[in-house]
Parts: sequence; C-alpha cells; structure tokens
Amino acid sequence: MLKIENLTKVYPNGTVALKNVSFEVPDGEFLVVIGLSGSGKSTLLRCINRLIEPTEGKVYWDKTDITAASPTELLHIRQHIGMVFQQFNLVRRSSVMTNVLSGRLGYANPWLSLLNIWPEEEKRRAMQALERVGIPDKAYSRADTLSGGQQQRVGIARALMQEPKFILADEPVASLDPVLSHSILQYLEQLNKEGITVICSLHFLDLVHRYATRVVGLKDGLKVFEGTATEIDRAKFKEIYGEEAQEVRATTV
Amino acid sequence: MDNRPTPGKITLNIILGLLIVAAFAISWRVTDVDFVKLAKNLPNGKDIILAFLTPDFFTHDKTTITIETPFPIPCGSAPEAEIPLSGPRLVPSIMCADPKVKFILEGFNMAPNSDVVVRWNMPDGRVLTAVQATTDAKGHFTSEVESRPIAAAVNGVAAKLAVETLTSIGNLKPSQAAHDVLAAMFVTFFMALLSTTFATIIAAPLSFLAASNVTKRGPVGTTIYYISRSVFNLLRSYDPLVMATIFGFWLSFGSFPGFLALTVVTIASLGKLFSEAVEGIDSGPLEALQATGANRFQVVVYGIIPQVVPNFISFIIYHWDINIRISTIIGFVGGGGIGYYLSQKINLLNYHQAGTAIWAIVIVVWAMDFLSSEVRKRLT
Ligand SMILES: Nc1ncnc2c1ncn2[C@@H]1O[C@H](COP(=O)(O)OP(=O)(O)OP(=O)(O)O)[C@@H](O)[C@H]1O
Ligand SMILES: [Mg+2]
Repeated sequence: MLKIENLTKVYPNGTVALKNVSFEVPDGEFLVVIGLSGSGKSTLLRCINRLIEPTEGKVYWDKTDITAASPTELLHIRQHIGMVFQQFNLVRRSSVMTNVLSGRLGYANPWLSLLNIWPEEEKRRAMQALERVGIPDKAYSRADTLSGGQQQRVGIARALMQEPKFILADEPVASLDPVLSHSILQYLEQLNKEGITVICSLHFLDLVHRYATRVVGLKDGLKVFEGTATEIDRAKFKEIYGEEAQEVRATTV
Repeated sequence: MDNRPTPGKITLNIILGLLIVAAFAISWRVTDVDFVKLAKNLPNGKDIILAFLTPDFFTHDKTTITIETPFPIPCGSAPEAEIPLSGPRLVPSIMCADPKVKFILEGFNMAPNSDVVVRWNMPDGRVLTAVQATTDAKGHFTSEVESRPIAAAVNGVAAKLAVETLTSIGNLKPSQAAHDVLAAMFVTFFMALLSTTFATIIAAPLSFLAASNVTKRGPVGTTIYYISRSVFNLLRSYDPLVMATIFGFWLSFGSFPGFLALTVVTIASLGKLFSEAVEGIDSGPLEALQATGANRFQVVVYGIIPQVVPNFISFIIYHWDINIRISTIIGFVGGGGIGYYLSQKINLLNYHQAGTAIWAIVIVVWAMDFLSSEVRKRLT
C-alpha cells in the first residue's frame, strides 16, 4: 500500500504545485489522477519516486518512508517503481533493446552495465518484455525509427524490466491518437490485473471511466475529489475542471 | 511603450550617429587604407602570385649527355654530319670548311642558363677547347667558331664538335620540394591529429563536469561546475600563437612545443563545445533512467553519451581540421611542420617552393573539410 500524507511542493520560483495532498493507494488499484493542465499531476507522480523532492509531507510504501530514504536506499526503492512518460523518454539514438535493458540498470552489475555488457538471461527477459507489448521484431531498430505508439510500448517494456510493484504513468497516452490510447492503456490494465498497482494521470474522462478503479482529482495543487469514476457527476466535474469546461471524449463512439 | 520622437531622443540619435561616423574615420586612418597603392603596385604582387601559382611539384630525371657533330676540315675530307631536327643538338652555319674559316655554331635544347664548353674531339683522341658559351632560358646559345687546322680530318675521319649538357630523360618524378612538403605536411597532419586526440581525452570527461545539467547539484557539484568552467575559459583566453611562443621558449623550437600549444588550445575549445552539447541534450531520457534506479554513472553512459556522441565526433573532426590550419600558423613561430617549411622558403625568397607548400595546404584543408562534412552527414 502506498500512503501519501500532507504532500506539499513549492518550486524555487514560489509556485505552489501541491498543497497538503493526502490519499492512499491500496495494492492492486488502478488509480487515475485527473485535473487541468498545471493542476500538479506530474508534480504529484514525481514526488512519489522523488524525481522531484517534496517540500513537505510523507510518502510511505508499506512500512518504508520513501521521503526519508538515503540516496542509496532511494536507488533500491526506485528499482521497483516503473515509470511511463507522456513523451516516452526513450534514448532516441539507442536501439530498442538497449532502451528496454536500461530498465534493468538498478539490478545490473554496475561495472558490466557501464560497458553495455548484459547477461544472456537479461537479454531474454528484454525480448519477453518486447513480446508482451507486441514488438519483438523491433528489438534492434533505433528507438527514433518507431512510431509514437510503438515507442510507448518500448516505454512499458522498459518499466516491465524493473519487475515493478507499481507503475507511475504520467499521461501515457496524451501524445497518441485515441485508438492507440486504448491499446496502450489495455497493456497497463493487463499488468494491473496481474497485481501491479498503477497510478496514472489522464486527461479524457471517457478513458477514466473505462480504466480507473478509483480517481483523485486535483485543482491548483489541492485534492478536490476522491472516489470512483461514476461518482464524478456534473457538479464534481465543474468543480475539478472549472465552470466553462465541456466534457471532451477521447473517442467519438 | 511610448515611441514618439522627443527633442532629447533626436539629439541622442544624432550624437550616436556622429560617434559611429567618427569610429569609422578612425578605423580608416589607423588601417592605412590605400586602394590606389593596391592597384598601382599590382606588378609587385603579380610576380609572387605567379610564383605561388606555379608550384614546384615535379622534376624530370636528368642525365649528362655528350652531343657530337662531325665537321670535316677541309670540305670533302670526310662525310658531312646529319643534324637531327629536334632535341639537344649542335648546328653549325656551314657543314664543312677549309682551315681558318670562321662560322657560327648554335646549340639548341641544352640545359637552360648554364655555361657550356664546346670542344673539338680529334680523330686521334686529343681534345681542344673550341669556344665557351652561356645558354639562355630556353637552352640556346650562339657563338663564333674557327675551323682550326689542327682539327683536320685524318684518313677520312672528321674531328667532332662536342658539347656536354644536362638533359631530362622523359620520366617525371616529384621534385625535392614536393618531397620536403610531403614530409612537413605529414608532421603537421599528425601533429594536429595527436593534439586533437590528447585534447579529446582530457576535454571529454572534463566537459561533463562543466555541464550544468550533470554537475550543478548541491554545493559540491556547483563548486566543481564553476571551477571546470573557469579552467576552460582561462585556457581559451590564450591565443595559439602566444601559447606556441611560450612553449617554444620553454622547450626550444620544434614540433613538440607546437603540439603542446595546440593541445592546450584544443582542450579549452573542445571542452566548451562538448559541455554545451551535454547541456543541450533532451532531459527526458535522463529522468526515465533515474526513475529505474540507475546510478549517476549509468545515467551518463545510457542517457547522455548516446545523445552527445554524434556532436562530439563532428566537433573532433572539425577541430582536427582547424588544428591543421592553426599548426600551419604556429609553424611560422617555429612550431615545425608545413608552416615552418613555408616560413623558411618565404624568407629565402623561394616562392615556387613556397607555392608548393601553399598548394599542399589548400589541398589538405579542402580534403579535411570534405571529410568532416561527409562524416557529419552520416552522423545525424
Ligand atoms: N520546475 C518547475 N519550476 C517551477 N514551476 C513549475 C515547475 N514544474 C512545474 N511547475 C508549475 O507547477 C504547477 C504544476 O505543474 P505540473 O507539471 O505538475 O502540472 P500538470 O498537472 O502535470 O500539468 P500538465 O497537464 O500540463 O502536464 C504548474 O503551475 C507549473 O507551472
Ligand atoms: Mg504533466
């Protein structure tokens, strides 16, 4: 279980991106974070694995206090937290294989990994990860020759290499078209069903309804909603997205 | 903002305009600009330009040959000579003569601008000097010869007019200058390569320390960042010529001080280029690698290096190219290589050989330029 307690983030320029946010994520959940652009979704996800240092508050993972971990402990904690990004964040000039293997760096022998030497076992693991996301044939292509959807699958394969206990996904489909969005989210859903907790930020409400087991709504850094997707009625919607907002759908069914 | 002209602004603009005009007037004066002289002295320039344009690349193999023309004295005492129509030859104005007759002897296609001795080779093997002459630029001479009674034919064998001369025998081969220029260019080329390599080995790791996105974290990192940046900037503020002169005095002149000067300058310049390349990378992949629990070194190797390698390589080749040019200039202050050869030849007024060196530099610089643009094309 992941427990977020009174999380506050103030950027050096004074922007308060998160204010006193608290919630819990029981194991096995598919938690979706929603909110307008600038509401603090990315900041929240990055405070969990401390890519961004929270200013105040605590993040507990079971009994471990992530916010109090030493730099070395933090590396070990991150090893088990997969992360998927809106812009995929692959090393564009490296092969797909190298990108997938890099998800394993936390486990690897530090010296051999610096020489890009990997045991056969890890290469097999990487191939299996690529098979899971349906692109084993791309293993030795350069990452930037792949389409956006394929690149995001590589991003998921990279996260899979970590044998993650949970996955943070920051708008994983915001750069993709609606059809691809579903195929990517279905991979995450599949992983979730296999027991990996997913914390995912999304923009489109129809995707939220389809995939979320629970939803946290942010507005200007404040948690303004927590509940199931079906509980988001018109009033709640306007509260999260503002008076002028219209519901936009990813797919026009 | 209010952009309406006010009297104050107009005055300011006029003063600014006058200052610019004054600055140009001063620049003109201190530079001694004299276009009339440039045109008037064109003949002076023409000679050196022509010499540079006719470099000394090739030479013919030379050998000493003896040209002989039988000359019967008196007429009818022996068969007359048959004169070839081309090549090195001696041509008398008459084909035979009675004793004590003066005639004109011409020589063609001898070694140019050289002293020649025309002799009588007598049938009994004795030798007598007939006349001395000097050939012109085309290897031609004309002189007056007398048919000496002592050179009369014996038993139907005429004495021969003979001359020894150098002549080229067909085969073109590289000239001495070409050999020397090649050797000097070799030195320059590899001096530039070695200094670029050394500089890369030192500048590449240092450049990561001088990149804000890698190092500038925490007080220790920030200190390292500013120190390494200052080192690069300090080194950069010294000109290669100054460096070469310092090392030249220190180590006495030669290729090694030239190499050291180039290396120091290259470290500074590549270090700056490299660290800017590192700062310009996409930070997304670094974030992703950090998120997997990769340590700092792993992030550098997996996230940064693949992104900067093409830039690094193109900077290295670009700098190798620059270093060939700089080392040419460094040669003038004693740094060895092609520049030293060139400065020597210019001081000795051997402009054809200087021309050879200049052409060699042009060719190598052009080739390096081509190479670096080809490599850069392939790296994107
Ligand atoms: N490095 C930073 N320095 C200063 N302010 C920042 C920084 N990163 C984000 N912010 C600010 O913090 C607030 C929250 O940003 P954040 O990126 O977390 O929002 P978001 O919900 O992810 O938005 P989006 O949907 O556009 O990705 C915004 O006002 C943003 O301008
Ligand atoms: Mg965001």
